[in-house]
Order: sequence, then C-alpha cells, then structure tokens
Amino acid sequence: MISRREFLSLTLGLTAGLLFPGPKLSLSASSPQFFFAQLKYRGGEWDPNPDFVEPMIEELELRTSIDGMKERRVTTLSDPDLFFYPFLYIAGKYEFDPFTPQEREMLRRFLTYGGFLFAEDTVGAKGFGFDQAFRREMKQVLPDHELKRLPADHSVYQSFYIIGNIGGRQKVNSYLEGMTIDGWTPVIYSQNDLSGAWEKDRFGKWVHECVPGGEFQRSAAFKMGINIIVYSLTSDYKKDVIHHPFIMRRQSL
Amino acid sequence: MTLDQITIAPIFPMWLIFLLFVFGAASAILQFFLIRRRLGHSKALIISILRLGAILFLISFALNPSLVVKKEHRTSPTVAILLDTSLSMGQPGQTGKASRLDEARAFLMEGQNPLLKSLSEKYEVKVFELGESLKAVEVDELARLKPGGVKGDLNAALQELRGKNTLAVLLSDGHLKWDSGQSNLPLFTVPMGNPIEYKDLLIKTVKAPTLAFRGREVVIDVTIKNYGYTGLTLPVLLKDGIKLLTAKNTHIQVSPGEVTTSLSFIPDEVGQKNLSISIPQQFGESLVANNSVNLSIKVVRDKIRVLMVSGNPSMNYRFMRMALKSDPSVDLLSFVILRTPSDILNVPTQELSLIPFPVETLFSKEIKNFDLLIFDNVSYSLYLSPHHLESIRDFVREGGGFAAIGGPHLLDEGRYAVTPIGEMLPVRSVGKEDYRRDSPTRVRLSQAGTVHPLTRLSLDVAGDGSDLLSFWQDMPPLDGINLLEAKSSSAVLLETVDGTPWPILTVSNYGKGRVLALATDYSWKWYMGKVARGKGNMAYLKLVDRMVRWLTKDPGLDPVQMTLPENPGSIGKETEIRIKLREGDLAPNLRSPVLFSVFSPEGLKIESKLKPTEQPSEYLGSFLPQKGGIYKIKVETQAGHLEEFMVIAGPLESLDAAPDHEQLKMISSSTGGKYLSNADNLLREIEGDTQKRGSRFIEEKRSSVWATPYVMAIVLGLLVSEWYFRRRWGLV
Repeated sequence: MISRREFLSLTLGLTAGLLFPGPKLSLSASSPQFFFAQLKYRGGEWDPNPDFVEPMIEELELRTSIDGMKERRVTTLSDPDLFFYPFLYIAGKYEFDPFTPQEREMLRRFLTYGGFLFAEDTVGAKGFGFDQAFRREMKQVLPDHELKRLPADHSVYQSFYIIGNIGGRQKVNSYLEGMTIDGWTPVIYSQNDLSGAWEKDRFGKWVHECVPGGEFQRSAAFKMGINIIVYSLTSDYKKDVIHHPFIMRRQSL
Repeated sequence: MTLDQITIAPIFPMWLIFLLFVFGAASAILQFFLIRRRLGHSKALIISILRLGAILFLISFALNPSLVVKKEHRTSPTVAILLDTSLSMGQPGQTGKASRLDEARAFLMEGQNPLLKSLSEKYEVKVFELGESLKAVEVDELARLKPGGVKGDLNAALQELRGKNTLAVLLSDGHLKWDSGQSNLPLFTVPMGNPIEYKDLLIKTVKAPTLAFRGREVVIDVTIKNYGYTGLTLPVLLKDGIKLLTAKNTHIQVSPGEVTTSLSFIPDEVGQKNLSISIPQQFGESLVANNSVNLSIKVVRDKIRVLMVSGNPSMNYRFMRMALKSDPSVDLLSFVILRTPSDILNVPTQELSLIPFPVETLFSKEIKNFDLLIFDNVSYSLYLSPHHLESIRDFVREGGGFAAIGGPHLLDEGRYAVTPIGEMLPVRSVGKEDYRRDSPTRVRLSQAGTVHPLTRLSLDVAGDGSDLLSFWQDMPPLDGINLLEAKSSSAVLLETVDGTPWPILTVSNYGKGRVLALATDYSWKWYMGKVARGKGNMAYLKLVDRMVRWLTKDPGLDPVQMTLPENPGSIGKETEIRIKLREGDLAPNLRSPVLFSVFSPEGLKIESKLKPTEQPSEYLGSFLPQKGGIYKIKVETQAGHLEEFMVIAGPLESLDAAPDHEQLKMISSSTGGKYLSNADNLLREIEGDTQKRGSRFIEEKRSSVWATPYVMAIVLGLLVSEWYFRRRWGLV
C-alpha cells in the first residue's frame, strides 16, 4: 500500500520532472558564478516549489550586480561536483530518509571548507516532518555546532538590504536560524517558505499567496532571498569596519 | 756563590715512616738482648748497632732526601722598548705638527744624546712594535713604521716579554688594551700627545635597530663625546643619502664629556635604508673622520595593507577574501560593487546597506597607505576617472603591488588598453571578446613557473608526493578564462593546456612595483577542488599568500636568503656571508648557477669568493673590505636575485684619539715602573732600577741522595759487616 503522502510526493515529483526537468549539467559545462544547486534526497518531498528559480534570478539580476543562471542544477550528496556549487539549496515539507554516513561526511567537508547551504521548511508550520528530519541530520553532520537563531546584527540581514522583516509565503518565524563556524554561517535555515513566495507559474502569476501580509510579505521574501545570496558570495563583508557606522546610522533612521 | 741544602720529599706519610723507624729500632734492641748472653755485651752491641744502622738507612729511603744546589749568575740587563703603532698614534703630537708616532721616534733617536743610543751602550736593547700584536723590529726599521690597526694588547705583550727582559719602556698615547693587574716586568711609560690641547668631537656610539617597521617611529640614540668644546651647541643630522631626515640640536656642557641625544624618523617605504649620522666640523678639531657614522636599517611591514575592489559579489571574491582574512599579517579593506547604476532601486535608500564607493578618497588620497591593490573583475570606466587610474599607476611605479583578477570585466572590454592600467598590466587583450566561458580548461606550469616562488608550492602544500608539474595539472579545470596575450616584458607562470596556451597567471615588474594578472574568475575552484579530493585547502591559501607576498616584495619569499655576519665587518678582515637558495623542491636540472658580487661604497665591483658549504643549496660568500663604507652584496640566480647592504666601519670612524695619559700613569704604577716624559730622567731611572734589582738569576739543581752510589755502598757495607761478624762469632 502506498500512503497518501507518498502518493502526493511521487505525483508532484514526477510532474515536476516531466514538465520542468532540471538541467543535467556536469562540470564539463561552464556556468555563471551564481546558480541554485538543489539537493535531491530520498524520502519526503525534495522539490516543493519547482518554479522559484527564474523569478528569483530575474529579481537578483535586476537589483544587484550579480549574474545568475535561471536554471537550477539538481544534485545529490553523492555527487562529486557538489563542491563546485556556490549555493546548495535543500527544501521540503515532509520527513526524509537519513543520509548515509558517506553523504554526511561529504556534506560535513563541504560545509566545513567553505560551502554554503540554504535550507527551507516549506510546510508553513513548526516542528513537522522536514523540520525534524533536517535538524536531526544537521546534528549528525556538524555535531559540534548548533542550529541557532541568527542575531539581528548578523551579516545576512545587512548584506544588501537592511532587513527588519523576513517575509515568506507563511510568517512562521521572524528570524532565520543558522550554524556558524568561525564567523561564517555555512548553513542558513528558514521555515517561512521563502521560495514559495518567489514562485511563479509559466504564465507569470504567483503560485502562492503570502499570508497574512500579502504582497508586502512577498516583497520582504525577495529582499531576504537576495540578502542570503549576497551573503553566500560575500560572507561577513558587511562587518568590515568601514561599513559598520554607516549601517548603524541607517538602522537608527 | 753556592747555596746547598737538603730537602726531603717523603714517599709515605710521616707517621708511617716514624712507625717503621720505631719498629726497626725496637727490633735491633730486642736482637741485642737475645744475642748478649751468647756473645757477650760488646759483640752483641756491635752486631746490633750495625743492623740498626742498616735498618735506619733503609727506612730513611722513604723520606726521599734531595740535595739542592743553587748557583747565582750575574747578567747584562735587557731593556725592551715598546713603540705603540695603533691608529691613534697617527694623530698630532705635543707640538701639533708631527704625529705622535713621529714624536716617539724622535724621542728615541734624536737629540744630543739619543735615548736609544744611550741605552744600547749600557744594556741589551730590543725594540718592539706594539700594534695588533707584538712584533720585534730592528732599529733601522723604525723609520718605516706607520700608525694603523686596533689598540695593542699590553697584557699579552708583557706576558710575552716577562722573564726575558729586565724592564720595558712604553712609548704611547695611552690607547691600549690593559686590564689592571700585577706584572713582574716593570714598565716605564713615556706619554705621547697633548691631552690638554687636544680638541675633538666624535660620534662615540650609535644605538639603532637593524630592523624597523614601515610607518612606525624609529629611535636612534647617538652619544657624542667632546674634548675642548664646552658650551657649544651643535646639530646632529640624520640623512638618507643626501636627503635630511631629521636634525636635533645638542648642547655640550662639560669637556671632556659625553652627551646622548635621540633622533627619530618614520620610514615610509620598505627596503634597506642606508643612513648616516653626522655632526658638523668645528674649528680646531683634530679629527674630522669621526664626525659621521654610517648605518643600515632594513624596513619591513608590520602588516600588509590590501585594498581589494570587486566588480560584483562572486565566489572568487568570497574565497579570496577568506584567504586574505585568514592571514593575520594582512590588513584587508575590501569593496564589493553590489549594484551597478543600471540596476533598479525599488526601495528607499535607507533600506539598503550599500555605502557610496569612496573612489576619490581611496584613489587620490589614501592609496599610498596600501601595499597592494587588487582589482577583481572591475569595470573601471563606470567608477574611476583618468586621474584615478594615473594615481594607481603612480602607486605601482613607486613600489606598490597590483593584481588584476579575471572575469568579463578584467580588461573592461578593451578599454583598459589605452589607460595607465593597460600600460602597467603584464597582459594585453587580443580582441574585444576577451572573456570565454564555454568549455572548462586545465592549466599547466610554464618553464618560468617552475622556478618562480609564486607557483613553486608543490612539496610544502600538496603533501601527496606529487611533483610540481602534475600538482598544477591536477588542479580542477577553470570554467571561465580571459583570452589575453602576455607582454614581452612579463613572465607567464601558468597557461591553459587545451588548444591555444592562453596565459592564466602572468607577472611583471613595473617601476619599483610588481604587477600580476590572474586571467580567470574561477580560481576558487582550485580551493574546492582540493577539498573535494580530501586534500584540504592549503594549496589555494598558500597561492593567495604567495601572490600577496610576491607582489609586496616580502623578503621571506625571495628565492635567495642571505645571512650577514652578526658583528659588523672591519677593514682588512675577510667578511663571510651565508647564502641559502630555496631550491629544495626543484629537480637538479632546474637548479640555477649562483652569481655572487660585491660592490664597494663607490659602486665598483670588487673581488669576492663563493664556495658551497656542506649543506645542500647553501653557499659561503666572502670578500675583503679595503675601506669603510656601505658595501652592496648581490646574489643572482635564475629564480631571482637579492641585494643586501653591509656597513664596514671606517678606520677613523668613532675613533677617540684623545691622549689617555692617566692610563699610562696607572700602568707604570701597577707594574712597578715610572711615568716619565723626559729622556734624561728616564735614563737615570732605568739605571737606578737595574742597579737596585741587580741583573742576576739563580740556577737551581736538585739531585736525589739515594741516587748516589756512596749511600748505597754504606748500606751494603753495614749489612755485609753485620753478616761477617755474625758468621765469625758463630751466629750463622
């Protein structure tokens, strides 16, 4: 017997795969400096918002000096090219299967030596399947570090916009969480379904409504997304002494 | 005359000898009582006395008596004349016309009754030159003696003369090495020079660091000694070549006396600073050459200040920033252009964290405060005006470092070509399409790259035993590269493997500075590629570190290391320099010959030697300085060259030539001699002294008593006589 959840996952996965197949690019093909590499895992639902990339990259290119690729790459933790992905993305709603020891070791090495992972629980509520599974796995991958609420003065809130409101499809948390190693936060975790707020269908319409804040909340989600991407490419650049007084002045306005 | 006496040197302890003596006497007395009844009183007494005598003789062997014979001999007195020929003896003497050495010669050989002649008539006279060592000279050689060299060692000289001479006469200005102490040889001192009339100013000591940090104050303590300039105020000058760095007035309060003053300056550029400290010549000064001192200070950075401008947020920026930030010796200021003028601004500016790019401040005013400028894929035409570009060129020309990191905007679509940036870059564009991101390509090391310190990082970072060539070829391929050609004045260190060999890492010198072009925006893959293979991140970190250090001329990266002697060299003494080449990780066929050159203070190449030591890649260079000043030492290899400077003190530099007659008085009094400046008085005193002491010596002969046959005959006679009487009287 197949469960309802498994059926839905399979149907959505197959639909996403058929209609919007992820590009099967390998290292032999060159790519722009920024692109999303989405992690495909076993169990659960690895691709809850399959159409978030293009709208996000369009906004990114429109607002910043970053050139991005409008197509994502789909990868797994056993992919040797993982280390060449600038922005690893993992999302889901439901619980997923535990990573293998080899996968955990690979992810540990990737994150310890400079890789970046943005994780999203898209279910719109705290403490459910993906949230539990992701926290479980991160405890295994980086046992000496905790997933903690990022303080308000963290560089991710100041890397491009000065963020006061996280935004997202659902307003679950007013903050991001992250794991910080020596001043650099290689893992950032959101439960507000940012990518759900970014997603558009083939006709250019928003796929999801943002509740309860509507379009203002969607706009905040894009700003937060841009900040996360800029942070992944500049690290704690905004903590440099030259920026600090300027940001302090702006925040006090 | 003979003085005889017997001395003993017991071979056993005295108590044991005494015990043996008592035991021998007791046995003789016992024998007397035993044989008295058989032989009668008188016969027993004779035999016992004979035995007692033999026993006592034998026991007294243990006392080891010696016969000492002393014989006194009379001799003709010998007088040693020591003539100080150290450098200070070349200074003016009493009259101020002739040198002290000339006056000493005249004292010995001139006048109505030349002292040397008078002494030779009465005594055996030996003349010695007291320079760096004691050397006997003939009288006719005296005229040829010249002042020079260091102070003579009087203690060593007296040690050598002791026992062979009755007394010694020293003609000196008092500049001698002398540790006060007793001497068996009386020394009569004759002062040369006039301490009252002597006038001089000299730089006695200079305390300065050999290493200084750029931008930090360097303090140099200068001690000035004076003779005869009470109340004078004079400037002490610190110069770099002919450029005056600082000057300070110093007031002299007492004479003779010393005053110490501190000079300070802030070095503004790294490298060797050849400085001089001087005081102006004053009227009546005896010696001018000691009014200046040369010194050499190496100026290094405390921190390397790097300004990095990135055209957009990128992985290249993040990884390079991470590498630069991980180095505690680097002080990084970076700017990332987060949005271009064409990007839309859909929020109020106060919601942006962006700060204005302070181009005018950075590139017109502050640029000189940096050591290295990195342009990472920057489109200059949007932000920088022509005078900013000229300012950057001037910065490099004056010794700064410049790195251009690749990407679509490396050459700003050819617009750099006609700018000062294009002039100094080691590469040029081959067309408008100067960036390619179609197929990843690997890199290989060029011939120049195998010996260049920037790319020669196989053994210390690879850690997998791979050789230098395969280390680079195993690096992950680069997705995007700039299509450039190297200028003829530059060196390509890395180039692409596939198809046309495009230069990837190219370096060159520009003015006093260094320039580098890394024609890719994917060098970060060299970091993650090694991590993916489980080999850590050291290769990339080391590459960035070496890029920074090479561009900022860090001496630690030089392929040649030179170790100068700890003590400053001196004229006429061979000076040795240890040279170490960093070629340990090179194959023998890539090792280069070593050229060693030394240049005199006038810039002329002088004779030098170079020989390998027992250590691999280590050499010992040497040269013989003939004059004081700053010598340039140059080592050249295929991998690079190194220049160092070495100060050789001039012969008169810091020379305190004031006559020290107090020391002469002290020397004569502690040796039992006299301090005299008049030849007649000296002659009289010598006569009196030789008579008082008498010219004699005692010969002492020592012979063992038991070594004589007579004593042995007596012992044998006693024993034979006893045996004879015993036999005759029927005891045997």
